[in-house]
Amino acid sequence: MLVETVVDIILSMEIPTRRYGLSRILIWIILFGVITIILYTSLPSSTWPWLGQRLSVFAAVFLGIFIEALPFLLMGTLSSGLVEVFLSDDWLARSAPRRALPAALVGASLGLIFPICECGTVPLARRLFRKGLPLPAGISFLLAAPVLNPIVILSTATAFGWGRMLLWRLALSLLMAVSVGLAFSIEKDSANILRAPMFKMELPVLDHPPAYETFMQKIQRALVISADEFFEMGRYLVLGASLAAILQTFISQTSLLAVGSGPILSVLIMLALAVLLSICSTVDSFIALGFLGTFSFGSVLSFLVFGPMVDIKSILMFLQVFRRKTVFYLVLLPLLMSLLAGLAFNYFYA
Amino acid sequence: MPLRLYRFLQAFIMFALVVFIGFKLFSGTLSLYINLQYMPLTVFGIITLAIMMFVIIRHPGLESDEHEYSDSDHQHDISLSALIILIVPLLIGVLIPVHPLDATAASTRGMNVSAPLVGSSQTREFQSAADTRNILDWIVIFNSTNDLSPYVGQMARVTGFVYHDPRLPANQFIVSRFVITCCTADASAIGMIVNWNQSADLKESSWVEVKGPVQASKLGGQPIPLIEANYVQSMTQPDQPYLYP
Repeated sequence: MLVETVVDIILSMEIPTRRYGLSRILIWIILFGVITIILYTSLPSSTWPWLGQRLSVFAAVFLGIFIEALPFLLMGTLSSGLVEVFLSDDWLARSAPRRALPAALVGASLGLIFPICECGTVPLARRLFRKGLPLPAGISFLLAAPVLNPIVILSTATAFGWGRMLLWRLALSLLMAVSVGLAFSIEKDSANILRAPMFKMELPVLDHPPAYETFMQKIQRALVISADEFFEMGRYLVLGASLAAILQTFISQTSLLAVGSGPILSVLIMLALAVLLSICSTVDSFIALGFLGTFSFGSVLSFLVFGPMVDIKSILMFLQVFRRKTVFYLVLLPLLMSLLAGLAFNYFYA
Repeated sequence: MPLRLYRFLQAFIMFALVVFIGFKLFSGTLSLYINLQYMPLTVFGIITLAIMMFVIIRHPGLESDEHEYSDSDHQHDISLSALIILIVPLLIGVLIPVHPLDATAASTRGMNVSAPLVGSSQTREFQSAADTRNILDWIVIFNSTNDLSPYVGQMARVTGFVYHDPRLPANQFIVSRFVITCCTADASAIGMIVNWNQSADLKESSWVEVKGPVQASKLGGQPIPLIEANYVQSMTQPDQPYLYP
């Protein structure tokens, strides 16, 4: 698959092996210098102001996403650190439902207890996996929590009112998250889905925690763990935010919006926009509201359902937890289901 | 990399992030990136980072056992790449001059003439005097009111940047503002058409104050307010270039 090849390339670029790490970094720096000089001398001089303008748009959008998402990521890693310290290792494994459907349902509604958006779900889901959360529950949690949580319900209601848009958004997100969770429950060996076995995930935990800790020591340990995790996950926030900002700087939304108003094309365009904009699920309703004038109910609904499940940042974070094949299906299944839902609404619910 | 050096670098980057965002906060430039309604979250983020940094400096010996289960060799390089990548936002913030979104961004994002932008459930009162309304107020009126007759002919006084929309004739331009709901990623440009004979002389992205009676017009089939300008004066960019719904 083309997608998987691209992912392969990204992943292989990113982790320099230890011995040649420095030489590789040097090579990149030198190559960058050479390319810059060649471009500088060969391109017409009018390119530079053009590029300068684009660069400042890029910086404004990138820093906007980064600064806005930072507290949400911190909330995610903080919850993860607290879960690690305060939740005993076997509690979840003992008390979580074992059968697939109840597990997926419980997972999907966990967002009501941990009100975090998509920037924070991945670190927390990973931690919960390590604490023995069943696979279908974890996957349903990842997909549903960004929508099925008090903050997002409230913001959707503020934008659209307590009406059918809110209702369908919640219902479809729940349905999709649970069915994807169920689809993955058929695989009994979690090693085929996760990058590392659940109980051995390479997560920040502290070496040999003392047998007895005071409350303050526990909090300190949680904070160090979440700091480590912040650095680990922050990478993907930075990479995702830069990709989204690059796309927003160079791809014209005008032409994208001009392409389609048909019942099929409009859904596809709203789905593309959901990935392109990568906006936090807590505020995407206000943006979606702006599209309701030009786009049908079904298309906007598919934007609201798909956007929180999959965007550039979350894809990059998924890759940390799941095998590439899993990530591929984690993106494709919600995509196709949102497409189906959007089309169904456009044709039968006008 | 030795653990203590790694901890030191981690703390240093956190410190730099706190200073960087804290500076944006206190100098007022934070509003160039996010809607200030979300400022409490940013404050929470800064405080959390500062506390984490403090704990890490006080206890630099606390170690994550990331390498326990895997070959310890490349784990530290992953940490190294995390350190390098988290410097990127600082570099972008320091090296690229602060510049709010302008006509360049408007040309790729498009003029959002039809967007209701503010909750359709919220009904606003438009008792405000015509010359105190900003562009967003006018757009909301034009999108939420069926009978525009009380508004047509009112004297508008708005400020915004010049955007030469390719769909407009030479004697018109759009006086535009960006509306930020959450952060710059969701910025959308709104604007009013201005009838002004010297439109072509106005520099793209420059800021102007426009006065004149309002007419109803259409752009791309959507209703949009138009100002029959009798006064267009260039001005310096305001401290708050964006509008917030």
